[in-house]
Formats: sequence, C-alpha cells, structure tokens
Amino acid sequence: MIKKEPSMDAQKDLLAGYFARLGRAKDEGRPVVYTFVPGNLVELMAAFDVAPVYPEVNALQSAMRQRSSGFIREAERGGHSEDVCSYVKCDLGMLAKGNVGPTGDTIPPPDLLLLSFTGCFTFMKWFELLREQYDCEVAMLHVPYVGDGVVTAAMRAYVVEQLQREVIPKLEKVTGKRLDLDKLRAQLARSRQAEEDLAWVFKSARHRPSPIDAYFGGVYYIGPIFTSFRGSEDACRYYAMLRGEVEERLAAGLGPITPEGSLGDEKFRLVVEGPPNWTSFRDFWKIFYDEGAVCVASTYTQVGGTYERGFRHDPANPLESLADYCLSCYTNLPLPQRSRILADMVKEYEADGFVIHSVKSCNSFSAGQLHMLREVERLTGVPGGFIESDLVDARYYGQANIKNRIESYLQMLHARRTGGSVPPPPRPERVHLEVVP
Amino acid sequence: MRLTTCGIDVGSSAVKVVVLDDDGDGGAELRATHLERIRRRDPRVVLAAALRAALATAKVEESDLAYVASTGDGDVAEGVRTGHFYGMTCHARGALFLEPRARSVLDVGALWARAIVIDPRARVLGSRMTSQCAAGTGQFIENIARYLGVRLDEVGALSMTATRPEPVSGICAVLAETDVINMVSRGISTAEILRGIHESVAIRLAKLLRAAKGGTPVVVTGGLAQNPGLMATLRERLDEGGGHTEVLTHPLSVHAGAIGAALWGAFRRRKLAAGLGGDGRREAAAVAAAV
Repeated sequence: MIKKEPSMDAQKDLLAGYFARLGRAKDEGRPVVYTFVPGNLVELMAAFDVAPVYPEVNALQSAMRQRSSGFIREAERGGHSEDVCSYVKCDLGMLAKGNVGPTGDTIPPPDLLLLSFTGCFTFMKWFELLREQYDCEVAMLHVPYVGDGVVTAAMRAYVVEQLQREVIPKLEKVTGKRLDLDKLRAQLARSRQAEEDLAWVFKSARHRPSPIDAYFGGVYYIGPIFTSFRGSEDACRYYAMLRGEVEERLAAGLGPITPEGSLGDEKFRLVVEGPPNWTSFRDFWKIFYDEGAVCVASTYTQVGGTYERGFRHDPANPLESLADYCLSCYTNLPLPQRSRILADMVKEYEADGFVIHSVKSCNSFSAGQLHMLREVERLTGVPGGFIESDLVDARYYGQANIKNRIESYLQMLHARRTGGSVPPPPRPERVHLEVVP
Repeated sequence: MRLTTCGIDVGSSAVKVVVLDDDGDGGAELRATHLERIRRRDPRVVLAAALRAALATAKVEESDLAYVASTGDGDVAEGVRTGHFYGMTCHARGALFLEPRARSVLDVGALWARAIVIDPRARVLGSRMTSQCAAGTGQFIENIARYLGVRLDEVGALSMTATRPEPVSGICAVLAETDVINMVSRGISTAEILRGIHESVAIRLAKLLRAAKGGTPVVVTGGLAQNPGLMATLRERLDEGGGHTEVLTHPLSVHAGAIGAALWGAFRRRKLAAGLGGDGRREAAAVAAAV
C-alpha cells in the first residue's frame, strides 16, 4: 500500500478539482486559455478569471495514468515523427481522441492560445498546430534569451511592453473585461506567500537526513505553484500545510516520504538535473530509494520558478515582476549558468554526487547536458552520472538499463567514500587458483 | 582463521558461483567455481542448481559457509545470500585477486561493459559505462554469431584468421547488424565479418577505458574475456597512437565478480564478528543464523 501524507491527498484533491472546474468552464462562461508551464502568467490570467490549460501537464498526468502511449500512437498515425516531443504527440493524440483529459473530464477548447516563449521552440510549433485546430485568438510573449545569465533593464522593459501591448489586450478581448490591477496585485501577494513556504521546504533538504526528496517528492510539491494555483488561497493553504509536515519530519529526524514509507537510511545525497520519466515514475523513484539515495536538490523543480534561488513575485511592481519571472525561467538560462547552478547545489546541499537525466523529447533541457556533466565535475570535483529516457513515451524508458547505470554510479560514490575499509590486497604466494571451471 | 565463503554473481545470461577459503590476510584458496547459463529459465532455479554444483565440488554444506555474498542482480539471491555487494567493487576485488598488478578492469558483460579504475588495494577510483545501445557487449557478439551460424566459442579464433576486416558501425548495434546482413549478401567471408565485429566492440571498449582514464595493466573480466579475437583486437586499439596498455585475461575471468563477492563476504564476516560494522541488524542476524 502506498504511504501518503495529508498534503499529498490535498494536492491530489486540488488537481482533481482543477480538472473538474475546467470541464465546467464553458458552462460557467469562463474563457479558456491554453498556455505552458515555463514562464506562465497565471496571476494575470486569474485576474481575468479565465480557466488555464497546461498541455504539458495534461500529458504528464496522462502518462502517470498509463494513457500516454495510446495518444502518442494516435499522433504518429497522423504523421508525426518518432522524433517529435512526446508531450506534443500526447496532447495531439488526446485531442484526436476527443480531448478527454487525464481525470476523464473533457478539456474545453481554447478561447486564447497564450504562448509565453521561454526558449522552447517546440512550444511555438505546438501552438501552431493547435491554431490549425481551433479558430481562436493567439497571443505570443517573446521572452528574450538571458544569454549572459543576467536580466537587464532593457529585457525587462521589452517583456513589460509586450504584456501591455499584446497579452493584456488579448485577455481583455476574450474576456470582455478590463485588467483589474488591484486584483493582480492581490494574486501576486498570495503567490509570494506560497513561494516563501515552498522555498523553505526545498531548503530543508540541507539537513541530514533530508526530510524531503527534492526531485521525486519535489514534483508533487511544485504541482500547484507551477500551474493554475499560484496566487490562490488554495495554494497558500497547501504550502502552509506542506511546510508544517516537513517541519514535523525535521523535528522527528525523519527522512523523506517514499511510496513505501519514510526512508530510514540516507546513504547518498544527490542533485538531479532534468525532468523525470512519467510513464514509470514510481519504478524510476524506487531505483533511488532502494539504494538509500535521496535527491536533495533538482533543477526540474525550478522550471516553473526559481524560488530556491530567491525569486519572489512582487505585488508592488506587478508587470515587471511577471517579466522577471519569465526571464529567469531555468531553461531560458545559458549552459554556463545552469552548470554553476548545479555546482552550487552540490555544494550547498552537501551532495555526494549529481545525476543528469537526459530526456529524448526535451531539447530545452537535454541540449548540452554532456557538456554540463563535465563542467559540473570540474567545478565540484564530484563525479556525475548520466541516464537517458523520455518524458511520456514509454518506449524510451528501460528500467533494467537505468537501474544498472544508477546502481553502478552509486557503487562508484560508495567506493570513493569507503576509503581504507577494504579487504587486504592479495598475496600471490598464498593465492591458489587450481580449480578450473 | 580461515573462512569458507560463497560468492554468487547473477548476470543477465549466466549465474556464476564460487566457493573459496579466505585466510584474512591476502591469502585465499579457490575450492569451486561453477557457471550455469540461464537460457530463458527462472534465474532462481538456475542459481539453486549452480549453488548445489559448486557446493558439491567444494565438498561443503551450505551450513559450513561463513558468508554467502551476492552481486549483480541480487534480488535473485534473496533468501540464499547473507549480504549483497556492489558489482563494481566485486569485479575490482576479483580482478586484483586474479592479477595483483591490475590497475584497471574492463568488465564486459552480456548487456553492457564497464571500465573501472582501481588502486593497488582495488579501491574504485572512477568508472565509465556503455550507454543504452547493445554495441560493445557480449549479447551483440552472440547475436551476430547466431546470424552467421558460428558457435560462440569459435567466434574469437575464427575472427583472427581474417586478413581484411570489414568495418561495421561501432556506435549502434542495429546499424552493425544491418551492415552484417549486407556483407553476407556481398559474399564477405564469415571470418572477415567477425573480425569487423570484434573491431567495433574493441573500439568501443578502448574509448570507454580512455574516458575512464584507466591505467595499465587492464584486466578484462566477464564472459568476453575468453574471446582471444576480441583480446587481440583490443590490444591493437589500445596501443593506437603510441603508448602501450597491457591487456590481461585469466581463465577464471568470467568468475571475477563472484570471486570478489566471496572475498568481500569474508571481509564483512570478520568485521561483523569483531563488532566493527556491517550496515544492518538484519545482515548480522543472518550471519548469526548462518554460522
């Protein structure tokens, strides 16, 4: 039986409620806006009371319910190549089969496709395909690449200007409402409150043993704040509850919760780069917790906001704050900075090692990861591990192979740590090898 | 005090079992080795048969064993083993036992290969492993041998008779197999095809060892260590561009993992007896029950 904490049920209820409300959105007269997680403008959308849809969240939720393979096959029958991002194919396959979402509720068609472009070219092509399917408004926010790792005033102004000239007018058009700036500020204030609690939860992994798994557990923690709940009372309540649970675990000296209960013996502390595999999520996680490996920090949990690194929404400067949020999106950062973030995490969380999970689908994450591996090894002196699979295409996930590689990697970390505690070297004169098979 | 221990290495194509006496000071005497191919059978049944055979050869009862150490796919040995040890440290220990000068180990198994850099006491200093592709592995050579209708134990020697190896993809096993089909249709001799296959595997293994910064001599462990054609090609590839890497094998190379496990088991048993460690009450209880 899977072990759960109250916050896990609360998170599940939030998500189920979200899909149920989405199914009613048209009946309730709420316009529907499709957008993506990285650089999402959920506070702005909430200020207009629209219903947001995140196609990549639908895809991963479908995958966790073992429904993505059928959707992907459907999209490939429609002519999409095996090389196309599996999130895209899962979404297009779902659309072709009636757009019934992961919980069984029908996903309503969009009134607006709002593309916040934070470096993923595939997102742009994805919405081009959806635009062919739906006769609806399209708004594109071009977020410039932060090539030097520094957000400049000009970049911020460029994004704010697009919000004012392109995004807000489109939202006003589809909703028939004017932007209520006070409502937006209130949303941002609540976002900030939840962000404080989430950042505290992630920082708790600095303790030994870590009370959380910041990757496998972390993907549950980020669910509400990365999507439609940021800025809501529900999110504030959820993150306060989560923080309370983690505080209790910390006080009791407990390790992270896993599907099989609390991890008793923290043998390895790891930093992880890259998204997880969703089709075999539990099996993937098990490889780590069976070996006593705890993920104390991860970069994937920063794609929807770099809260651990200090970012907070600012109600005093709403549009500038939204611009900074989009600009600092993890996958919008250059490889040297991403490598430094990983190296800093290894040091801050006193990790024994770091693992890069390279997914076939996501170029935004995977391009340059082998270079990052070498660079982080150079910066930290800690050896890295490298594994490959995919987001939601089960065909690219090989349990035995990944298990083998992770175990080998952990063996190496273990061997480096054991120091002098090894058997004596052989004395050839006293070694007898007469037995021949 | 000498301890009789058993090492079990559960691989993807065979289960290897050894029984040895360890004197605790670098001396050991091998009493039995047994290799049982899995051949689509339940690995637990295979393991039980291999264990019975090894104990019979060693003329010991299971209750005489001070420690039963598993490595590889250890879940298969659940219920039989006293404790489990990492494959890499077992192969390192086993390789050093077979060749005390070893400074790196190439463990070439059925489904993957691994380069391990070790110090004079077999501490693992670094490692590199093949990626997901089957290129560079034992299963790949086995598949090609089956296509060509050659017995696996003849593959190495036959490849050495070739004068003009036919190059095949060293990156992708599927591409390499396509290459082979094409070669057969072009009338290329079996020996030349096999030589090309060995070249592709050797190139991959040499890259792996260089990436791990492995020192010389290198001891090859795992099933492919018995393939003279591969060893000859590997030596050539490693010495390309100057320098010399000594490549060593041993008739017992395929048992290196199991030997290493048995040696680690004796070490752990002594530590537990001395009250110095072991990392679990369950293991200590198992030892107490076994002794």
